[in-house]
Amino acid sequence: MAAVATCGTGAGSTRSIVATTSKNNVTSFQRKGPRASGTDSGCSRLVSIAGTRPSVRNGQLLVSTGLPALDQLLGGGLAVGTVLLIEEDKYNIYSSLLFKYFLAEGIINGHTLLVASAKEDPADILQELPAPLLDDNYKKDLDEDICNHQTPDSNIKMKIAWRYQLLPKMESGPVSSSRFGHYYDASKRMPRELIETSKWHGFFFPEKLSSTLNKEPCSLTHGYRRLLQFIQKVIYEEGFDGSNPQKKQKNILRIGIQNLGSPLWGDDICCTENCDNSHSLTKFLYVLRGLLRTSLSACIITMPTHLIQNRAIIARITNLSDTVVGLESFIGSERETNPLYKDYHGLIHIRQIPRLNNLIYDVSDVKDLAFKLKRKLFTIEIHTQKKFNLCIEEEKNVDYNTS
Amino acid sequence: MESVLALGGLVLLRDSVEWEGRSLLKALVKKSALCGEQVHILGCEVSEDEFREGFDSGINGRLIYHDLFRDPLSWSRTGEALPGGPLGALQAMCRRTDPGPFTIALDSLSWLLLHLPCTAVCQALCALSHQHSRPGGSCPAEPVRVLGLLHEELHGPGPLGALSSLAQTEVTLSGALGQASAHILSRRPRQRPAHQTQWFSILPDFSLDLQGGPPLESQPHPDPHTPPVDPTARVTFNLHLSKKEKEAKDSLTLPFQFSSEKQQALLRPRPGQATSHIFYEPDAYDDLDQEDPDDDLDV
Repeated sequence: MAAVATCGTGAGSTRSIVATTSKNNVTSFQRKGPRASGTDSGCSRLVSIAGTRPSVRNGQLLVSTGLPALDQLLGGGLAVGTVLLIEEDKYNIYSSLLFKYFLAEGIINGHTLLVASAKEDPADILQELPAPLLDDNYKKDLDEDICNHQTPDSNIKMKIAWRYQLLPKMESGPVSSSRFGHYYDASKRMPRELIETSKWHGFFFPEKLSSTLNKEPCSLTHGYRRLLQFIQKVIYEEGFDGSNPQKKQKNILRIGIQNLGSPLWGDDICCTENCDNSHSLTKFLYVLRGLLRTSLSACIITMPTHLIQNRAIIARITNLSDTVVGLESFIGSERETNPLYKDYHGLIHIRQIPRLNNLIYDVSDVKDLAFKLKRKLFTIEIHTQKKFNLCIEEEKNVDYNTS
Repeated sequence: MESVLALGGLVLLRDSVEWEGRSLLKALVKKSALCGEQVHILGCEVSEDEFREGFDSGINGRLIYHDLFRDPLSWSRTGEALPGGPLGALQAMCRRTDPGPFTIALDSLSWLLLHLPCTAVCQALCALSHQHSRPGGSCPAEPVRVLGLLHEELHGPGPLGALSSLAQTEVTLSGALGQASAHILSRRPRQRPAHQTQWFSILPDFSLDLQGGPPLESQPHPDPHTPPVDPTARVTFNLHLSKKEKEAKDSLTLPFQFSSEKQQALLRPRPGQATSHIFYEPDAYDDLDQEDPDDDLDV
């Protein structure tokens, strides 16, 4: 407006002021077009990070966990800056599969990976990632029994609750790579070219263990301390926390920590009930969460909670993590022969979902979920009430095909 | 029993007071030695002479014995004792770079767990089992096999669980009527664990004799396995319809279904039938004035 006044000193009428205004094209309203100016490269463009999308509920930035079914159960995906804790099943078959799905999703989306393990070399873990499913051949492998809620016999058209038949079936096909959440074929390995072009950092604890001779006393177990330092170094050097302003495109760091809490990390919460360093793991989780909240990263941790002797520690760990999913496989238990569970390999328990910038969270109504590992795919279903078992105290599961 | 040795990695032999496992350990050691492998033995619980008893000279020559029994705390200072104590001995074994198949027998893991922190034992065992993937470049074909004897009753659920999660194969010894049996649980990576029960006996020269099982009448199975639970058995409503009932159900017209007969019935007035009547007795408080429904309100 000051510019208009100086230009229009000679003219007194508003018309000339308007004329000069339009001629000089100076207004206080600037149109924010898609200019290629480098002033604000990422201001309103959070969605432009590959593999993320804002949540429909509160706008939180989400990444996919690698299993679209699990994404749906967690309210759209895993929020950036949070921890997904997976309580391992007894023989660590399915939890390691979920771990690999998470990492594979990172590779497909071009995220940077950080893999930490005390048991296997991270390079070996990356070689075993499942291959993505991107073509339509997948559709004919799908099962056809997408049951609706009310029918005991799935082939009878519903007569009473006929409105449910008009509901659209769940999306169960593969998605192209530009969308959120991909499907993976557990029987095939990811092609080596994809792994080699991806950026990843590995932390294999036995290698670091041998290099240090003096262990200074510290409240954190040595292994956890080294791991935290490593994560912090990667976040700082690669600029995930905004410290080195990234001129290039922003990216997400996916952290995967395997078997945290097992004795291989040097922590003895799995060995004894009254351990010396019982706060080590909880401190680790606290510091890790602080690191994650201040950076563009998401973390998956698998933990053998069935081995932890002190139940109080498990409660503390659950509180310190954001999303907690427990897996319980039927191998070796009496449920393996139970006719209710004959189609499934185990149960999934969603133990906790975080409340991020919210007062309430999105708890799904369905509490009882089962999973099964088919020949190629990992599906999470709510098991059909084919047989009404009101007298048995087992959990009732409803069918809900989402994979 | 071949699968026990074939898989490699950590093999846990869990024994108890009734069914001792040292003879099975010696039998497996003998089998490995006969296959031409290098066998290292870390002896902690029994003396070297007692361990070597029963083996012939050929096998005894192939066994490399590390003795921790005579002087576990290195008091003698004559240099005979192993440097570094038990942990040092384990770590020394980790650093071996001899090519070829390799078997390590730990007699016993329980002794190690009682003298060393559990985490150190677990880390050493993991390093031992994964020794073949150390930087040498290629992964060799022969695995390193670690046979560990564990006395179940000496430990709580914590260490037992921790070691089970590390083990590739777990052999739990039990038996019936003088016949020993081994329940073998083998965990191949990324596959479901496989269970197998094998009856066996150990001959005096420590060779394994695999057997079918004890005579049938001594089998302690009192009755056949109960049939799987039928969830529909004790339900208070009828889940199964007979054919007639199904037909009746299918032919029932539901109230919201608007069929043509219904439409005709509604459209066409029925002259013959009396129209329906409503009988109404007005109450004392009823308001019969149609225009002002709120007349009776006391406002």
